[in-house]
Amino acid sequence: MRALCPHSRHNRLNCQTLNKLLEFIRSTYVVLLFVVIEALALHYYANSSPYTQARLLAQSTRVAGGVHGLFSGVKHFFGLGRENRQLMARVAELESELAAWRRTASPLPADSTQVVIGERQFRMTPATVVSNSINKLRNFIVFDRGRRDGVERDMAVLSSTGAMVGYVVEVSERYAVAISILNTAFRASGKVRGDTYSGSILWEGTDARTVTMTELAKYARIEPGDTVVSTGFSQYFPADIPIGTVVRADLNEAQTAYTVQVRLMAHMSGLGPVILVKNNDLPEVRSLLESERVEELKNRP
Amino acid sequence: MMHRSFRFILLFVVTQLLQAYLFNNLTIGAWFNPLVYVSFLALLPLEMPRGVLLVNGLATGLVADWFMGTAGLNTCVAVFAAFTRPFLLDLLFGKENIRDGGVPSPERFGEGGFLRYAASLVGLHHLLFFLLEALSWAQIGQMLGRWLVSSLVCVGFTWLMARVFTSKLTVRV
Repeated sequence: MRALCPHSRHNRLNCQTLNKLLEFIRSTYVVLLFVVIEALALHYYANSSPYTQARLLAQSTRVAGGVHGLFSGVKHFFGLGRENRQLMARVAELESELAAWRRTASPLPADSTQVVIGERQFRMTPATVVSNSINKLRNFIVFDRGRRDGVERDMAVLSSTGAMVGYVVEVSERYAVAISILNTAFRASGKVRGDTYSGSILWEGTDARTVTMTELAKYARIEPGDTVVSTGFSQYFPADIPIGTVVRADLNEAQTAYTVQVRLMAHMSGLGPVILVKNNDLPEVRSLLESERVEELKNRP
Repeated sequence: MMHRSFRFILLFVVTQLLQAYLFNNLTIGAWFNPLVYVSFLALLPLEMPRGVLLVNGLATGLVADWFMGTAGLNTCVAVFAAFTRPFLLDLLFGKENIRDGGVPSPERFGEGGFLRYAASLVGLHHLLFFLLEALSWAQIGQMLGRWLVSSLVCVGFTWLMARVFTSKLTVRV
């Protein structure tokens, strides 16, 4: 990489400078290349969000999803017994609920404002998990249902026993990616069943069987073993979806709110069939929230 | 030469597929996250120029990011591993020894030497990965636990791959 220098003094000096530069680049190009690649990779990572990651995962699943499906099929086969027992238990539970409703059914409902006119608020779609992780701080779940099956972003994901699992963040033609409840970016609101005070559900990235409910008001009635459910305030989850059971509740230093350890009801390491729930009212609620009047009130000093 | 290149391509494919389809989907626990694709970088020939090593690190990281949806994180740590590897080798075995070339393996460095090398490279790679993944000191104990468990599993995997991979390769050029 050394240039041949001409005889004239001026040109020779220029040539020697060029040679020194080439020599410098030759001796440091590995470091320069390393710095450039690292800077680009860090920049891309720093600007990524769970949505960017889900989009990337959806792209790779579009290509590699077939093999994931093959492996999950084998895993699914060996879990059929357990799955069947869970489904039978769920059917029995729903049958008993249905029987109770039939007994209390009357021509005029007690609260006429609860009558649902036209389309139902929630639509359910069954799906099977093809890929799921619990060992990262940002875990995602991939399903074998996509746009062609009517799956959309923001659909809630429930386990086969009806417990909270996550919500859909990215959809391709045949697959969907959901942010797992075991993702440090996941947030939902929760409360103790039968109580009115709510807290924020999040995962601290430590135990795959436990999540934390923070900022639960100190007035909440809470005991170990109580069931924690969704509040219905979230745009993704219907109300009263079970999340888990209370393991421990500690008041914070200021004695104003509880931090609650919640043992998950969904068996996250063995997810097989799941239920995707679409909230048909969500677009209407969102358009109301984004309406000019609401925006104007938000921006009012 | 072609035969050796083919074996390295095969090693790249095997480690990436095992990472994507097996280790990424193992739901043993939040502490178990071995990034076994780094074994490919650990077993590349000693005489490989540093620039080519970086390109291999880049390719390894990009494919891992694509499979795991991690948007640059694996690229960053794989390139870091590829960059630090020659320094680690010089430090552990001396420049003269490394200049002789060959494939890093228990036969080439001895069982203890190879394990020291694999533990250093895998440990550094995993440490940077978990630090960047957490981007916080709040759960430092948990992070160190994940690092230790995952690194140990990955060192074991690298040792196994070195045994299988170099069984019919000349370890000293």
